[in-house]
Amino acid sequence: MRITQNMTANNSIYNLQQGRAKLDKLQELAASQTNINRPSDDPIGASLLLSIGDQLKAGDQYASNITKATTFLNVTGTALQGMADTVASAKKLVGGITSGSSDQTVLDNIAAQLTIFKKTLVDMGNTQVGNQYVFGGGNGQKPFDAATAAYSGDETALNVQIGQSATQQMNIPGNQVLTGTGVTTPYGTTNILQTLDDLITAVKTNNVSGIQAGANTLEAGADQITKAQTEVASRQTRLDNTATMNTNNKNTLETIAGNVQNVDYAKLAVELTNQQTAFQASLSATAKVTQMSLLDYLG
Amino acid sequence: MSLNSILEIGKSGLNIYQLATEVTSQNIANVNTPGYSRQQVVLETAPTTTANGFPLGTGVRISAIERYYDGLLQQQLVTAQSTQGNDTTKSNVLQQIEPTFNEVANDGLGAAISNFFGSWQDLSLNAAGSTERQTVLSRAQILVDNFHSVSTTLTNTIATQDSALVPLTSDISEKLKNIAQLNGQIKITQLVSGNANELKDQRDQLLRDLSTKVGISYKEQSDGTVDVNLAGDPTKALVTGDQYATMYTDNAGGTTKNDIYLTAVGNPPPANTPATDAKITTTVGGTNNSLGELGATLALRGTNVVGISNGIIGGYLAKVNELANQIVTQVNNNHNDVTAQTLIPPHRAYDINGAAGGDFFVGTGVTAATISLNITDANKIAASSSATAPADGSNALVIAGIQNASIPFATGSATLNSYYDSLVSKVGLDVQSSKNTVAQDNAFTQQLTTLQQSNSGVSLDEELTNMVKYQRSYQASAKLITTATDMMDTVLGLIQ
Repeated sequence: MRITQNMTANNSIYNLQQGRAKLDKLQELAASQTNINRPSDDPIGASLLLSIGDQLKAGDQYASNITKATTFLNVTGTALQGMADTVASAKKLVGGITSGSSDQTVLDNIAAQLTIFKKTLVDMGNTQVGNQYVFGGGNGQKPFDAATAAYSGDETALNVQIGQSATQQMNIPGNQVLTGTGVTTPYGTTNILQTLDDLITAVKTNNVSGIQAGANTLEAGADQITKAQTEVASRQTRLDNTATMNTNNKNTLETIAGNVQNVDYAKLAVELTNQQTAFQASLSATAKVTQMSLLDYLG
Repeated sequence: MSLNSILEIGKSGLNIYQLATEVTSQNIANVNTPGYSRQQVVLETAPTTTANGFPLGTGVRISAIERYYDGLLQQQLVTAQSTQGNDTTKSNVLQQIEPTFNEVANDGLGAAISNFFGSWQDLSLNAAGSTERQTVLSRAQILVDNFHSVSTTLTNTIATQDSALVPLTSDISEKLKNIAQLNGQIKITQLVSGNANELKDQRDQLLRDLSTKVGISYKEQSDGTVDVNLAGDPTKALVTGDQYATMYTDNAGGTTKNDIYLTAVGNPPPANTPATDAKITTTVGGTNNSLGELGATLALRGTNVVGISNGIIGGYLAKVNELANQIVTQVNNNHNDVTAQTLIPPHRAYDINGAAGGDFFVGTGVTAATISLNITDANKIAASSSATAPADGSNALVIAGIQNASIPFATGSATLNSYYDSLVSKVGLDVQSSKNTVAQDNAFTQQLTTLQQSNSGVSLDEELTNMVKYQRSYQASAKLITTATDMMDTVLGLIQ
């Protein structure tokens, strides 16, 4: 084959361009630290990355949902614990006078304390997280009226999505705990607030049978709160488990994405060195070959 | 044979080696001229005469000044450059679009969709929260903006491709005119037995340039001219002898995009009349619009001039439009309070004031360009499924669930995100394959050019060697004349 200077020059330019392009690509990998910088770098890998990215985003959303629901349930748990303590105190107080008392001052004092306990229970029933009433249900109303202690919330379940097809109710309607008057009564049918009202009247009038009956009902009421606490605890456990699973899932997905996306530095360094050497060689060869001409030797 | 004939032979040598050096100098001068084919004098012995009973030559003469030219390579180059021009244009434009879909490096439409449905999840946790409600509206607005941005980019690219046809066709027409002119000059030169090598080189170069713009087929005639036809439709003549056609764009009939027309050949060609000229929009790019820059531009823009583009970019746009329409349809279906509907499962949707939910986005049958919010008041977001429970977020949860639902797209069922991901992947594949094709085309053209250069290219070393060779021959011829003169002197001296 006949070779002309222009062919050598053209081929040199072409090959130098190829070398430059390879170096440029390696430099981009080194600088960005990622294998796929645009979909065309590896369409199949990019598709995998996007799919993993979508799953990670969904996972983050579930994690955020779980955190919020956990906060909601923690506050609910604290309120229920306070209710249980209050009912226990009331029980103890009433326990001291099951056979009545002749001292009206003592009776009035106890009745006053019971009134405060009832107010405390109502206050706890109106506990809020942000602007949400934890015992309120779906209508957004303040659940318990301070004066009449009537329940004005509803029993709508506030569900939260904690996984792709998993939801969890996070609220406990207040009437199921404190008044036992709900459409469904999963924890019991004891109306704790009514019982306290009855007790206050019975104590004031030194009605011994009324006091004894009230003390017994309070016992059942304490049970009712305990059941609600157990429910909250089991929900928290489920959220914890789901959160752990979510985290594991996230770690796995991130590992897979990392395998696709993260640059192997050792490999890159070797390739870069190789390419550098090759490019320097072609530069040097080009410089030498293109200088050679018969003109140098013609007199 | 006389001494005079030696002088004659010497003179022919001088003349011819001078001419040979001129050809060499022409070669050297054109070493970098694109399309130049090296030339060489072809020498032959002058007719013989009989002297003293022996046949003897009468010196040297030139039979031709040849150009080194391979017609087959030229054909292959024309075809290869047609493909190369096509793929390069396609690749360049696709690479400009790719960043719009570069979800790998930046958050784009895909992230906007995820965030939009994420905000519904947040709302389901606190349906009465004004922050959550406002966030849904802002996320929806960001989603709408993203759709508009993608749509604008794609629509603008289609418009750019459409307007690129105008200079492209006038460039082609200009080249056709030049080829026809060269044809005329070559014909006249050859009629008077002149040397049309340079003219032919120029014409070959023009043919190669033309082939990067549009697919052509050509045939050399016995009078030295070439006839050029459209590769996509061989019945359409572009150049016949010194007659040429005009290729032009026009939106005759009020079409939104340009059609491509071709006049009949002539010198000069008849005036542009779209009503009677051949409309070649669908044929000029060859099969699948695979030839020349014109083909690539048409492949990107689409060949239909009314309505949605049927080109590559139009295909992307159609997918984005379908995505926008599905999001609007699905969200609206679930945001509306529906009690009796056969298509959509009946469900209740109420806003914070207990009013029945309406459309969240405007209308139906929307595109990425027309998508917009119907709701501006965050209180109107129907998160609840009970008129009396404004803090209930169960409908928000239903709408958030759309993200994971399998939705019937034209290409099969997919979730919104996976549909968009597959579009990103498709754009990536298209760009990657076009880049690969361009690399192959470049290598192929490089190889053909090398072969062509090997045959037709000027080698300075060779020309310098020839120059020295011709110089020596010239010197020898001069010496011949001196010698003959000396001999003549000797003869004349005999007489004294």
